[in-house]
Amino acid sequence: MKILFLSFIFSFIALISFGQKGVEEVKFKTSAKCGMCKSRIERDLGLTKGVESAKLNLEDKVVTVRYKTNKTSAKDIQEAITMIGYDANEAVADQKSHDRLPGCCQKSAKPHKD
Amino acid sequence: MSKKYYCLIALAFLCNAANAQTLKGFVGDNSEEPVIGATIYWTNAPSKGVATDVNGQFTIPTIKGEKTLIISAVGFTTDSVEVSSTDFLKITLSESSETLNEVVVKGQSILLDRLSPIQTETITTKALAKAACCNLSESFETNASVSVSLGDAVTGAKQLSFLGLSGKYVQTTFEGIPSIRGLETTFGLNYVPGTWIQAIDISKGVGSVLTGYESLSGGINVELMKPDNSEKLYVNSYVNSLGRLELNVNAAHKINEKWSVGLLTHGSTLKNDVDRNNDGFLDAATYAQVNVMNRWKYQSERIFSQFGFKYVNDSRTGGQLGYVSQEETPSVYGFTNGTKRADVFSKTAILFPDKPYRGLALILNAATHESNSLFGNRKYDANQNYGYGNLIYQDIFGSTQHTYKTGMSFVYDDYDERFGSISLQRREIVPGAFLEYTYNYLDKTILTVGGRVDFHNLFGVQFNPRVHFKHDISENTIFRLTAGSGFRVPNRLAEYYGNLVSNRQVVFTNALQPEKSWNYGVSLTKTIDKSSFIVDFYHTNFSNKLIGDVEHPEYLYFYNSNGKAFANAFQIEYNWVPSDRWEAKLAYRFLDSKQTMGTPFDEAVLLPVMFQSPSRVLFNVGYSLPYDKWKADLTVNWNGKSRIPTTDLDYDHTSYETMPFDESPSFVTVNAQVTRTFINWEYYAGGENLTNFRQSNPIVDPFNPFGNRFDAGMNWGPIVGRVLYAGMRYRIR
Repeated sequence: MKILFLSFIFSFIALISFGQKGVEEVKFKTSAKCGMCKSRIERDLGLTKGVESAKLNLEDKVVTVRYKTNKTSAKDIQEAITMIGYDANEAVADQKSHDRLPGCCQKSAKPHKD
Repeated sequence: MSKKYYCLIALAFLCNAANAQTLKGFVGDNSEEPVIGATIYWTNAPSKGVATDVNGQFTIPTIKGEKTLIISAVGFTTDSVEVSSTDFLKITLSESSETLNEVVVKGQSILLDRLSPIQTETITTKALAKAACCNLSESFETNASVSVSLGDAVTGAKQLSFLGLSGKYVQTTFEGIPSIRGLETTFGLNYVPGTWIQAIDISKGVGSVLTGYESLSGGINVELMKPDNSEKLYVNSYVNSLGRLELNVNAAHKINEKWSVGLLTHGSTLKNDVDRNNDGFLDAATYAQVNVMNRWKYQSERIFSQFGFKYVNDSRTGGQLGYVSQEETPSVYGFTNGTKRADVFSKTAILFPDKPYRGLALILNAATHESNSLFGNRKYDANQNYGYGNLIYQDIFGSTQHTYKTGMSFVYDDYDERFGSISLQRREIVPGAFLEYTYNYLDKTILTVGGRVDFHNLFGVQFNPRVHFKHDISENTIFRLTAGSGFRVPNRLAEYYGNLVSNRQVVFTNALQPEKSWNYGVSLTKTIDKSSFIVDFYHTNFSNKLIGDVEHPEYLYFYNSNGKAFANAFQIEYNWVPSDRWEAKLAYRFLDSKQTMGTPFDEAVLLPVMFQSPSRVLFNVGYSLPYDKWKADLTVNWNGKSRIPTTDLDYDHTSYETMPFDESPSFVTVNAQVTRTFINWEYYAGGENLTNFRQSNPIVDPFNPFGNRFDAGMNWGPIVGRVLYAGMRYRIR
């Protein structure tokens, strides 16, 4: 019983104490269209290996990603964005992923924000 | 009406007499029609809000430094306006496209409804994921108000308890349609797969008159996965250390702007024979269950409609090891049940886009339920045919400050049950009418007064009034009061199903009468950022309660309470959410539930209700990274002692006054779970009852199952002990 509690507490501490060292920031201009794209990109990047946080600005469609340099690289993140279905700077979206996006998130959709 | 209105506005003036300057304006919709009862306030002074009058006009005192006005109204998108002068202001609100009541469930595990005059707590998908398994009965694990336990030691049927009363006094609804009633009370909680559930609303005290007369102690509303805003495909698989396997596949497809279709499926089975306590009986009944639900949804500006069907087929076998069938193994005690149930339902609403406060809705539901059981050598066959209709019209008196809902309902219930030589038939036809008025002052003070009249073909005219009141004492402190009555017609055998796993002789001492009660409640909710503190007290007082009496070891008596029958429930709960990552809950619940027993011996003794432990403590702590990349959760439950009938085999029951009774010990259960989320995949693993606590002898006289004292209905605690599980979820959005 006691061991169980302790192991839980330790695993919590282990989870939190992944250090802050070696964190860098990178920005990509994306082909995001709307709030739906924003939440999709932020969630999927957030669940990508090495990514600490991702924030997309809908005004200029630029996503700002904070990542751990020992776990991933700017190039890997750029590729991750294309695999979600969006362009990232000069890299073009993966066609298959793009076609699976909801209609309002595809490149053919007219610009909109909501 | 409008006079009253001006008075209120004048009142708002008086309160702010110090700020002499005022701002006047008009709030209209897209077609310049006035929006009546819209709320207007300065961003940083929401408590000093005003409302628009019948002409859509308002006057609000200016406050130094305040530049932004927030304007909100039911059915419209909330807007804000920058104010730079005191010139007359013209505001246009656009109609909201969101359907009322459809809450997007995200973030926190618990949502407290700040607006409802009825104390309501919502268990969100996030909290449901804490209990990875498996159906509605297992979804209340982290909720302090509801406790769920096995009804007996053989069948696997789960029963819930709420406010000191068993689950049958709670009205369960699926998106507002009454459900889990009649014969479905027995296994109903086991028949709702967890992955179908989007959210559960738990409300304390009598419910609204709209959903009928049956909500005696509270309501549990289950929101299922919607066809139009769920994942395209969702697959969940689960396996546990007993060998229970589950597979759920949900699909949703948006056909076009207006039509969408959803399919929910579930299959689960347990085939292993488990007897960890070596009493010769299966600790968990083996079973196989298939569940399907299909629904279609249509939504346009004027019409909202959905219809579909639900089907469940469940077969289970329990009892002594080695049981094959009554013919092949006649000396082995077996339990079997086969249940088939089919439901068709529809919900249609006519909306008035230019008058969003107006609406007309029709709910229809028909079901057929067939259940065939065998307890040793006693057969119980039961059928129910059910029809339900509810027509609701909603409108305002003058302004949206005064709204009302009125309508008519119809219930048809046909029961046919046979248990051994007992045969029970009953046909209920109950037309009814209801009216509910709501006074809403800026969402801060809400009073709902409702009443309904039902014309029961067997039990005459029934009138049930209900009142709900809410007042925001301050920005984050809500006070609520509730009072009201309800009634229900009990189904003696289906509701005491677990007690039939015995050789007790069933005796109906009195003719069937409806159970009637009054419920009173008071609660206080204080929120501090995301944390909350809740204290509440509810009292249910029965004018008639059906007693299922198992004090005599050889009889199961049914009679109407001859004297007092009541339940008091006190609860204090603290939800601590210090950051986005951590959340913790500590709750204490105290129950005092008593009923008058003794009719078989012409006695009247007030006794504590059995198997009801007065004290309970719940502790839960959870940690999650953003998007639940990693999530861990721990729940500790402490259950206090409870009264149980004496299980002494030599006991001779002769009097209620002097009878001895036993006490079950207090016990602790611990559950824990870890989840790891990837973009499309999610893996989870965990354990239930990690302390491995078990009731040592859940069955009385298990080695003599055809004897007079054999009884599997004396169960008060976990039977199987520790269970470990793992599973995964896959989704395509």
